[in-house]
Amino acid sequence: MEFLSSICPPEILCQILVGLSRMTILFIVASGLTLILGVLRIPNIAHGSLYMIGAFVAFSVSKWFGGGTTGFWMAVVLAPFAVALLSLVVERGIFAHLYEREHLMLLLLTFSFALILGDLVKVVWGGEYRTVQLPGSFKGPIPVESLPIPIYNIFLVIIGPFVALGLWFFTNKTKIGKISRAAAVDREMVGAVGINVSWVFAIVFVIGCFLAGMGGALVSPIVNITLGMDHTLIMEAFLIVIMGGLGNVWGALLGALIFGLTQSLGILIWPQFGIVFPYAAAVTVLLFRPTGLLKSTW
Amino acid sequence: MKKETIIGMGVVLLGFLAVSFSFGAEPIKVGIIDTYTGPATAYTFDVLDGFKMAVNKVNAMEGGLGKKIEFLTRDEKFKPDIGLAMAKELVLRENVDILMGTINSATALAVSDFAKKEKTPFFVTFSKSDKITGEQGHRYVFQITENTLMAGRAAAFALAKKPFVKYWIAGDDYEYGHAIADGVWNQLKKLKPVVQLLGKSWWKVGETDFTPYITAILAAKPDFIIVATGGSGMVNFQKAAKATGLAQKVPFYQHTAIELSTLEPQGLDAPEGVYGTANYLFYYPDTPENKAFVQEFRNTYNRYPKIGALYGYVTGVLVEKGFAKAGKVDKEKFINAVQGMVIDSPVGKLELRACDHQLMLPMFFGVTKKVPQYPFLIASDIVTIPPKDYMPACEEIKTLRK
Repeated sequence: MEFLSSICPPEILCQILVGLSRMTILFIVASGLTLILGVLRIPNIAHGSLYMIGAFVAFSVSKWFGGGTTGFWMAVVLAPFAVALLSLVVERGIFAHLYEREHLMLLLLTFSFALILGDLVKVVWGGEYRTVQLPGSFKGPIPVESLPIPIYNIFLVIIGPFVALGLWFFTNKTKIGKISRAAAVDREMVGAVGINVSWVFAIVFVIGCFLAGMGGALVSPIVNITLGMDHTLIMEAFLIVIMGGLGNVWGALLGALIFGLTQSLGILIWPQFGIVFPYAAAVTVLLFRPTGLLKSTW
Repeated sequence: MKKETIIGMGVVLLGFLAVSFSFGAEPIKVGIIDTYTGPATAYTFDVLDGFKMAVNKVNAMEGGLGKKIEFLTRDEKFKPDIGLAMAKELVLRENVDILMGTINSATALAVSDFAKKEKTPFFVTFSKSDKITGEQGHRYVFQITENTLMAGRAAAFALAKKPFVKYWIAGDDYEYGHAIADGVWNQLKKLKPVVQLLGKSWWKVGETDFTPYITAILAAKPDFIIVATGGSGMVNFQKAAKATGLAQKVPFYQHTAIELSTLEPQGLDAPEGVYGTANYLFYYPDTPENKAFVQEFRNTYNRYPKIGALYGYVTGVLVEKGFAKAGKVDKEKFINAVQGMVIDSPVGKLELRACDHQLMLPMFFGVTKKVPQYPFLIASDIVTIPPKDYMPACEEIKTLRK
């Protein structure tokens, strides 16, 4: 009973808010991954590397603009575009020729890209730790004594729904979004009605990678930007995608929500084994719904 | 004798001379196995650069033995099996005289075992496992860095003098994290029995977001937190501590919190008042030796030397002085010469203890602080803990190895 009485509302509220901010980053990255998986059928292991490149570019852009408020906003805006540009080159140059290959081949190809991009980052930015400076107004915790939550995490919680809304708008309201949904179900049929599927794929791939870059840019001020940050994230992102249902953007949102909240609340309940909770949640979900929570497009 | 015969003999003799001459110029070969991929490079590049600096100096003046030191590097990618394969390749194919590296404890122990079989001296330059010179120590392995047991004891030595009673332990859920935490806690309980442990939190290695952990720890209201993170988690934890306001509410300790590797990337945004320990600070001690070392390193690499630079540099000096004292390139003679040797270093005289082959480094305990001179935080209120106060005694090592 003692530990139950120690958990009183402000602590729980605090963990929920922190969990939601974690969800935002996970959702942004996982939604890009699931979009590419759903439409192009590529399990893109290099997605984590693009997230890492997003963070490193954010560092360089922020430094270029002298850090502070300008540097931060320019980094958050420009870094995803830089990643999108890189992904366009990769897609047109290599992936576009290989869509007909087996999944295993594509999986190996993206794995090799993860290694190549990892080394590329080492060549360009070196092995040093990097960080992005936060604007003054985002520094420190919110001015509520019982809630030691960083202001930036609240900013992330606010950003999350906008990204989700933007994705909803893209997939449901734009022509290209509708075509890509159709292509996800039946690629040949979409081609047969005279649509250039190759370019639809390119656009979806670039948008997916843009999201990876955006996740990296948004996380850059709160983490240590370092080689290897891609590995940690790609595992979690894949788990979220599988939990939510392959290719389903809303599934990614739900998966990220479960992952973020079980993690933060688990830490409060049982700090010594806090890491177990999100994975236990994933196992539970897959036991009862082996194809994920929402409808998979596969 | 015919003129041709004399010329012929002359040529043959000259040939012999050339051969023996080239034998004399045969360099001392050092094989370096370390992690040059991934986050560990933030530390390993400095070891390599520090070592290069020492070696270049030796090579410029032909060293004590009149031989140049040559080195080969191998990237073990933080994988013990690759590291071991590379050690075999370096010893069996490249015939290196000395092995050195690695930051990965599992690799260090595997290579150490191999070095023992092959009777090749192996200098461990970053791995912090206390098994290396402790229970698994032997004649052919040398440890240049402090280990988890030593770091923990040094911190406990300093923390016992502070007024904190209610402690919380948090750290990376792997050997290094647990070893550092146990090292501090076991010694602290011995030195100050009133301390109590409120709870522990462990996170996975490579965790980047510490905010949920910190908010949960704050809810438990401890006086002090022992944070046992390593690698990139050092910076990640400090950033989260700053953002959540933890740094102003509850003081905490991290081994190497005051080190340049942790503080430089954060610039002036690093939290003040964090307790930490480190073997090397480029601004302390403020001696001519340290100043000269920093100046030389900056001239060569255009940056401040971090902790690894000292480890690499000292290894280079030991290799050179060891062979010079041994008088020839012989591994056994080298070990006899180098064990117990005292050398000059940027942090003063250092002894490579003969009983366990552990380098006796001073440990600096301090608190992070902003100063006008640097664009990053440095350590203040530095207390130097001499090696004898935190190193296990030779008798202790003997019982461990039994």
